[in-house]
Amino acid sequence: MRIFAGLFLLALASTAVFAQTPADFLAGYSQEAKQANPGHGEPSAQRGQRFFTALHGQEWSCASCHTRNPAAAGKHAVTGKLIEPLAPAANAARFSRTAKVEKWFKRNCNDVLGRTCTAQEKGDVLAYLLTLK
Amino acid sequence: MSELIQNRILVWDLPTRWFHWLLAASFAGAWLTSESERYSALHVMLGYTLLGLIAFRLVWGLAGTRYARFKDFAYSPARVVQYVKSLVAGKPEHYLGHNPAGALAVFLLLGLGIATGVSGWLTYNEIGGEWLEEAHELFANAMLVVVGVHIAGVVVSSFLHRENLARAMVTGYKQGGPDGSINKKRGIAALLLIAAVAGFWGLWFNGKLDSLVSGQASAQTEDGGGHRDEEDRRGRKDRHDDDD
Repeated sequence: MRIFAGLFLLALASTAVFAQTPADFLAGYSQEAKQANPGHGEPSAQRGQRFFTALHGQEWSCASCHTRNPAAAGKHAVTGKLIEPLAPAANAARFSRTAKVEKWFKRNCNDVLGRTCTAQEKGDVLAYLLTLK
Repeated sequence: MSELIQNRILVWDLPTRWFHWLLAASFAGAWLTSESERYSALHVMLGYTLLGLIAFRLVWGLAGTRYARFKDFAYSPARVVQYVKSLVAGKPEHYLGHNPAGALAVFLLLGLGIATGVSGWLTYNEIGGEWLEEAHELFANAMLVVVGVHIAGVVVSSFLHRENLARAMVTGYKQGGPDGSINKKRGIAALLLIAAVAGFWGLWFNGKLDSLVSGQASAQTEDGGGHRDEEDRRGRKDRHDDDD
C-alpha cells in the first residue's frame, strides 16, 4: 500500500508539481525510444532539424509556425499571433512542465503529422532545439 | 394549473429559443475546433459568440417573457432533488417552463460558459498564469458533462411526460392551460440577437476583427522578442475596427 502511495506521489511530483529541465525531457525521450526499439541510438539534433523543417504529408511543418529559427519568436500560420521562442535557450519556460509539453506535442504533432509523435521524434527535435543559442 | 383544458400554448419566446440553439451550436463548434491549430481562429470566434450570447441571456433573464425570466425558474436545491426523485419514481412533476433540473442546467451552463469563455480569452491573450489554460479545459469538460446530463434529462422527461421538450424549444409550444401561455413572441428582440451574431461573424470572416486573433494584448506585456514592434503596429492599425 505504502509503495503505491509512494509511486503515486512520485508520479504526481514528476508530472505536475516540480519543474523539470529540458535535459530531463531529453533523457526521458531517449530512454523511451530505446525501450520501444533497442536498436535506437541517442537523439540526433541533425535528424531533429530535418524533421522540424520537413513536411510530413500535411499542410504544415513545425517551422510553418515556429519558423526555421525557433530561437526567435514565431507566428501562427492561421491567426498571425506571436509565438514565443521554442528553443529553451531563448525561452526558459519551454520544456519545464510535463503536462504542458505533452499537451502541445500531441496537438501540434497531430496538425503536422496527422498522428502523435514517437519518443524518438520528440527526442530528436528537443536535441535540435537544445543546440540553438 | 388547469389540467382540464389542454391547448397548444406558447411557452418559449423567440429570443430564448434562438439563444438556446445558437449557444448549443457555438459550444459544439468550439468543442470541435479545439484540438487543431487549423481551426484556432474559428474557435476564438465561437468563444466570443458564446460570451456574447450569454451576456444577452443575462439581460433576457430580467427582460424576457414569463418563462425566460430567472425568477420563474430560481428553484431551491430541495426542489431540484424533489423533481429528480419524482423522475426516478416515474411520476415526474409537470412544469410548463423550465423544470427544476432543467433550471439547474441553465444556471450551470451560464456559469460554466462564462468561466470557459473568460479563462479561454485570458489564456489566448496570455494574461494571468498558465493554470488558466488547464482551468479553461476543465470548465469546458464540465460544460460537456452538464450538456450530456441535460440532453439525457430532456430525453427522460420527454418520455415520462409524453411531451417532446426538444421540439418545444424549436416551436415554442407546449400543451397546457390557456392561462399558462405567454402572449408575445418578441420577434424584434430575436431579430436583433440574430443580426448581432450574424454581423459579428460577417465582420470576422471579412477580416475586420483580425486584431482579436492576432493577440495584440500579448504584444503589450512581458519581455521582448524581435517581432514585437511589428506586431504592435499591426495591432494598432487594426484597432479602429474593433467595435462590433
